[in-house]
Amino acid sequence: MVSLLRNQKVRNALLQILYVGSIAAMVLAGIVIARQNLAAQGITSGFDFLFKSTGWDLNFSLLPATANDPYWWYFLIGIINTLFLGTVGLTLATIVGTIVGLARTSSNELARLLGRTYVDIFRNIPLILQVFFWYAVITHLPTPRAAHEGWGFLLTSRGLYIPFPNVSSAALAAATLAVIAAIALPIWLGRTSRLSLPVGQRGGIQLAGTAAALACAAIILVAGRLADSPLLDFPALQGLNLRGGLRIPPEFATLAIAIAIYGGSYIAEIVRGGFKAVGKGQVEAALSLGLGPWRVFMLVRLPLALRAMLPILANQYVWLMKATTMGIAVGFTDFFMIVALTINHSGQTIEAIGILMAGFLVINLSLAAIFNRINKAIALKGNQLRA
Amino acid sequence: MISGNSPRSSGPAVLIENLDKYYGTFQALRKVSLSVDRGERIVVCGPSGSGKSTMIRCINRLEQHNGGRITVLGTELNDDVGNIDGIRREVGMVFQHFNLFPHMTVLENCMLAPMIVRKVPRADAEATARRYLEKVRIPEQAMKYPGQLSGGQQQRVAIARALCMQPEIMLFDEPTSALDPEMIAEVLDVIVTLASEGMTMICVTHEMGFARRVADRVIFMDGGEIVEQAPPDEFFTSSRNERTRQFLSQVLGH
Ligand SMILES: Nc1ncnc2c1ncn2[C@@H]1O[C@H](COP(=O)(O)OP(=O)(O)OP(=O)(O)O)[C@@H](O)[C@H]1O
Ligand SMILES: [Mg+2]
Repeated sequence: MVSLLRNQKVRNALLQILYVGSIAAMVLAGIVIARQNLAAQGITSGFDFLFKSTGWDLNFSLLPATANDPYWWYFLIGIINTLFLGTVGLTLATIVGTIVGLARTSSNELARLLGRTYVDIFRNIPLILQVFFWYAVITHLPTPRAAHEGWGFLLTSRGLYIPFPNVSSAALAAATLAVIAAIALPIWLGRTSRLSLPVGQRGGIQLAGTAAALACAAIILVAGRLADSPLLDFPALQGLNLRGGLRIPPEFATLAIAIAIYGGSYIAEIVRGGFKAVGKGQVEAALSLGLGPWRVFMLVRLPLALRAMLPILANQYVWLMKATTMGIAVGFTDFFMIVALTINHSGQTIEAIGILMAGFLVINLSLAAIFNRINKAIALKGNQLRA
Repeated sequence: MISGNSPRSSGPAVLIENLDKYYGTFQALRKVSLSVDRGERIVVCGPSGSGKSTMIRCINRLEQHNGGRITVLGTELNDDVGNIDGIRREVGMVFQHFNLFPHMTVLENCMLAPMIVRKVPRADAEATARRYLEKVRIPEQAMKYPGQLSGGQQQRVAIARALCMQPEIMLFDEPTSALDPEMIAEVLDVIVTLASEGMTMICVTHEMGFARRVADRVIFMDGGEIVEQAPPDEFFTSSRNERTRQFLSQVLGH
């Protein structure tokens, strides 16, 4: 018996059983207690509430929503809002992080200092404070009547108004695809082996590809424009209110900015670490072959740095995705806030929180799975000797 | 501009005059002068920290010198980016730790620079790459990644990669020091073949047998200076310099 307890495998298995068992006991106890409490309050448990109408409104939704809609529809909207905020926030944070991270690795002393200051400041202030700060800044912008104006943009306390094309949503989606193609095409043309032209001489083809895709986007927009209205709809003051253009609500703008700036400071460190991990030897080899600094960056430093960055970046993305729950601090109806409102209005605490946790698990596990696949696909083959 | 100085212009392949190099306040090279003729094979040796790497890295501007002149194939190495690019095109380098691009196959490693720098069409670049991989005796590894090869194989890929640019001059910085003994010979054999075909080369190495076999001249460096240079016979048997003899007794194990 004693010798069995000294066996490492047996020990690990016992620990696992103890661990899982204690968690299961806690969960079971929680459910039993909750059921008793709910019964005492006269609330029936179960998921029937999903099909009842909510009776309250949302301040931000990408899909049509009214107070008559059922809870399940609101949850869906919440998930879409969270994903939308996450996508915008993570994209902006990645852009900010790349710029700051590159500044931190640059040979220019001032750029390095600015980058370091940025990281030191924004990484060390809690996200919730930054959210409140940006919310205060945005809600203290002038009223629509005294809005800051420039290039057709209007900054007001009621939100950011930007010019927006007056086109059908189908045309808008098609044009977006064309713009994505305009970015992806030169990258593909630069790497594919289907062209016999040497990689260094593809500038012309790449430029033509981009131009063609952009032209497509323009044609789609013009063709898809709504009748009897100007192509671009500029926001303008009418009476006491602003009409036209696209309004970005202050709550969304606040969160997108806060996540971009806070997340950017973390991503900057990841970018810096990634570039530091690239061996000096590979860079020297590329230089000794006569490759110029830009080519060395694009063909050697960036691809190697990306591989070093990606696993940590995936963690950071999952983390920032969870940070979208800050929406509740300023009243943005993300998934978390909708769940909170649901609990308030319906009393279905356990069910709603269960849905919340399941939703975030699915979102974040999918994100992690996607990154794992990319990681595996681009992982360096064989043993890597660190020189 | 490099254009006026075609690789075929006359004069030495590499001319180093009174070269000084500082790292901060530390002087790594002191008034080093060396002339290497076309087709000449130079072996550089000397104790650790004597400035061997620094000297050959100055020749293709991986290090920037602080005093004196370096002229490669008639082009002076100065701040002119055109000169630097032109010289790097004609000077291949092989490193102690191979420094292959780990995210590219062996073939891609060999094709990259010719296609981008020399603007060689893909098919030609591939043909050249395969020819040189044959020459370093690993044609069957073309589609593998560097991490999947042994050290000796990686170093031979590195040599092939440099050769694919069809350089006039090859620099080797301790090409076999990171290799296990049984792999040293396979790499040295490749370099010996190259030498026998008339490639101009400067090779930093402690392989004295190799030096005896291929070198036209052996350079001994110590404390950032060239202390002695002589043909191998003379260098190994009748050097009268105290520092040289001390060094030789160490590496030859007497
Ligand atoms: N980047 C650098 N910064 C500061 N000092 C350096 C740097 N590179 C080399 N040195 C110094 O310059 C001197 C010459 O270095 P170098 O690498 O040329 O020596 P080496 O002869 O190649 O030695 P080894 O046989 O160990 O490779 C050494 O004292 C070294 O410490
Ligand atoms: Mg050295």
